[in-house]
Amino acid sequence: MNWDRRAFVKFAVGAVVGLHASPLVPKLMDDSAIWTQNWNWVPNPEDGALAFANTVNPATGTGVKVCVIAGRLKGERLIRVEGNPEHPTSKGGVVPADASALQNLYYDDFRVKTPLILDQRTGMHVEASWEQALDLVAGKLAELHKAGQAHTVAALGTEAKTLDGELLSRFMAAYGSPNTSFNVSAADTLAMAGWAMTGDENLGFDLLGANYVISFGTPLLEGFGSPVAVRKAFAAWRKDFKRTGTLVQVEPRASVTASQADQWLACKPGTEGAVALGLCQVLIQEGLYDRSIAGAALGFEDGDKGMGFKTLLAKNYSPGQVAQISGVPVETLITVAKAFAKEPKAVAVCGPGNGGEPGRLLDFMAVLALNALKGNLGKPGGLVARQPLGLKPLGEATAYRGDKPRLDGLGTAKRPLGASDHLSLAKGALAGAPYKVNLALVAGGNPAYASPQAGVVRDFLKSVPFVVAITPYLDESSSMAQVVLPCGTFLESWGDSLTPYGGAVSEYGLHKPLIKAYDMVKSQGDVILALAAKLGGAVAQALPFAGAEAALKARTAGLGELAKLAKKSYVVQEKPAYGNLSFKTPSGKLEFFSMNLHNLAVKLTGEGGMGKVLKAMGVTAEGSAALMPHYEPPAALARAGHGRLVLAAVSSLRTPRGDQPITPYMIKVLDGDTLANNDQLVVEMNPQTAHDLHLYEGDLVKVTSTAGSTEARVHLFAGAAPGMVFMPVGLGHYASQNAYTYRRGGNYNQVAEATADPLSGLPTWGLTPVAVSKA
Amino acid sequence: MTTHEQGQAKRSGADWLLFVVGFVLFSALGFWGTPALLYAEKPQPFQFSHKVHMEQVSEGCKSCHSFREDGSFTGIPSTDKCKECHSDSPQGNTPQEKTFVEEYLNKGKPVDWQVYSKQPACVFFSHAAHAENAGLECKKCHGDHGDSEKLRTYQQNRLTGYSRDIWGWSILGMGDPPKRMKMDNCADCHRANGVRDACFVCHK
Repeated sequence: MNWDRRAFVKFAVGAVVGLHASPLVPKLMDDSAIWTQNWNWVPNPEDGALAFANTVNPATGTGVKVCVIAGRLKGERLIRVEGNPEHPTSKGGVVPADASALQNLYYDDFRVKTPLILDQRTGMHVEASWEQALDLVAGKLAELHKAGQAHTVAALGTEAKTLDGELLSRFMAAYGSPNTSFNVSAADTLAMAGWAMTGDENLGFDLLGANYVISFGTPLLEGFGSPVAVRKAFAAWRKDFKRTGTLVQVEPRASVTASQADQWLACKPGTEGAVALGLCQVLIQEGLYDRSIAGAALGFEDGDKGMGFKTLLAKNYSPGQVAQISGVPVETLITVAKAFAKEPKAVAVCGPGNGGEPGRLLDFMAVLALNALKGNLGKPGGLVARQPLGLKPLGEATAYRGDKPRLDGLGTAKRPLGASDHLSLAKGALAGAPYKVNLALVAGGNPAYASPQAGVVRDFLKSVPFVVAITPYLDESSSMAQVVLPCGTFLESWGDSLTPYGGAVSEYGLHKPLIKAYDMVKSQGDVILALAAKLGGAVAQALPFAGAEAALKARTAGLGELAKLAKKSYVVQEKPAYGNLSFKTPSGKLEFFSMNLHNLAVKLTGEGGMGKVLKAMGVTAEGSAALMPHYEPPAALARAGHGRLVLAAVSSLRTPRGDQPITPYMIKVLDGDTLANNDQLVVEMNPQTAHDLHLYEGDLVKVTSTAGSTEARVHLFAGAAPGMVFMPVGLGHYASQNAYTYRRGGNYNQVAEATADPLSGLPTWGLTPVAVSKA
Repeated sequence: MTTHEQGQAKRSGADWLLFVVGFVLFSALGFWGTPALLYAEKPQPFQFSHKVHMEQVSEGCKSCHSFREDGSFTGIPSTDKCKECHSDSPQGNTPQEKTFVEEYLNKGKPVDWQVYSKQPACVFFSHAAHAENAGLECKKCHGDHGDSEKLRTYQQNRLTGYSRDIWGWSILGMGDPPKRMKMDNCADCHRANGVRDACFVCHK
């Protein structure tokens, strides 16, 4: 055997074949394939220890305010949002907006990641540094201040009483402008009703303690206060398939709440308050009312102020009369009132409307009166007064000291009560009387989309020469801004939230940065404080905080150490403050005839001119009835009929109300009865109403009001009241940066028309006369 | 007979021996060299006896590797879970426990265990579906790990970063769980039990 070329070739071939017969090649091929899955640009979450951090989702206006979540940290990326089982009211539950909150957090195209400045030549936003953006905004503000035009700066915030709201209010007052507006909500109306009748602005419904609940037109299971907490209470009434609690829903549509209720009183639109008064009258005529407090209340019997509440009810709200007004049969009214009186723990509930509107003050007063007659004030399962949270003010009270009138007319004879709102501000500014707005600061929200009669606010923002938006998202409002300043979502910033609407216990939620999703994103409070520091002078003095964290520390000084509070993320009172309510009214008693309202009217015009003032406030009732709970037919109904239908909203936990953008997940879980063909809005109509208009299932129609119009597909639904058209809220975004929401359906806020609520002066947009025609 | 023909006849048998030598030598090299080349030994932070712990608990594996209320699996227990039994001073006298208490428990630091059965991130695996609904024993996939007195050597694939347990200790990739935990093993078991084996069942 020679070691020659041939021998070597044979050996080499043997070696190669031998190597291939070994596992080396197939193993390497398999491993190489897996190796490619781990290239650093492949989007796998980083490895790391698991941790859970508490926070509270403040989601203003979406009705998921106090859902407590635990964000699971994996490396530097949040990967899931879960409920926090230790939170006393939400107890581990979440709603779709909480569960899918990360989708908007990590939606790169939709997020504002750096400060942006509008390039006037191209009309496009270009990236800028914080220094450049803050200098530009502070420069404009200083310029206007110097020119004596500080009052022509307007700020549009989200919630007045949160840290961000307080910082914004102080900033504007110290800067020298009276024009700060916020979102209005049912909390404003309930505070006014409480102030008018009990002197207490912090009333809540003890749903968890109740076993008989009458809800007057509120979306109790579709976004009321903290939706999770309400659903937990509802679940307790249905525990183990046994009905331990009774729910009665008064509403013109077979909504989710109505269909889950034990009894549905299908009333005519806008007559829920009349039904409450009808029930009050049954309690009195049957002698089933509480005599110790309600019977001894100011204005119950006839007296020096005129007719008493008892006589008013007997005269105008007998079951027969109420049946006439509301369409609810007399026998039903009597049965429900008797059952309500019989149950030891029963409560009547008023709240936000389906479109997120703040509700009608007179209806709220009627519901408070019903609770008072039931005798459940301060009782378990009744109407309770919350104890204050003990938050400290951010400094000495700072109010606008100038002499310029507010653009929203608040505080004038026409609007003595009420809270500031974007729509009134926008209307005032567009009218230009007495002045126009030169700079608008949109802080946190999306009023161009979410405000009632959104078209008016959008036109207002278009008319303002310089708009600054502090926002996490490239939405409808920020796309109109000259300068966009990026702020974090609740998962990446400092901030807080207060007791959700109607809560029986006081709650405080605190959120902190859990991660830094984008390097240049700041807390909203930090942005306001940075602007204040740049401006210097009185503004900097009014806001002497290094940042939002320091401001929160000062604000929560009474609640213990900030680090501990931030870790726990909430303060919730253990149980409602039961015990008799201490009435802080002028009479020291419960007042059916509101002395607070009376004194306010007298202060404005004197005793003689009171009627005139009340007329200007939209109250048509005369004499003492004007300042007592009574029924005023909604203004919108007067213009309905004659071929016009009444538009009302459909709320759902899958479609947020207010500023919070709908998430891709929420869009995905919408069915064909809300969004047809994935992008067309669906409106519900009673089959008879559709028949009268020659419309069929699936027809494309145009729904038009004086405020605006939208196209939609018709869905016939026997549970919709005749003469009405019901439209989902939370859809119809038109900011193109969000591909998931862009042009999906139409915007209810664009079509709904806002009218001033009698007495409260708040805009209300629950009912709108509309024309429906084939598109 | 030409010279060429003479050469052919003379060398044919012995030359093929060289082919066999090459084949045997290099296939042996492949068998021996592949694992030596691919796998690196990584130490565990400290030794741990499952056996000792199993003797102390009442609910077997589930005592520490538990399910949350929502059905999700907790996996490796957190140090908080350990704290349910361990206090801030060691209960026994092993140096391992001392390390654990001082370096991890008291500092609230999670233990960075090397996990033998860790699957790639693209695999969705529900313990609840297998252990609770299908009633599979932990042993079926994890073997007698729960009875072991010490942690065996952990080998990490240098290329993929995953444990050798996934491919299996047989370099030929032979065997079924607990000896091997590759996708084909999952699919075989699904097929044998009439469970869907479509891609999206595990790759979401």
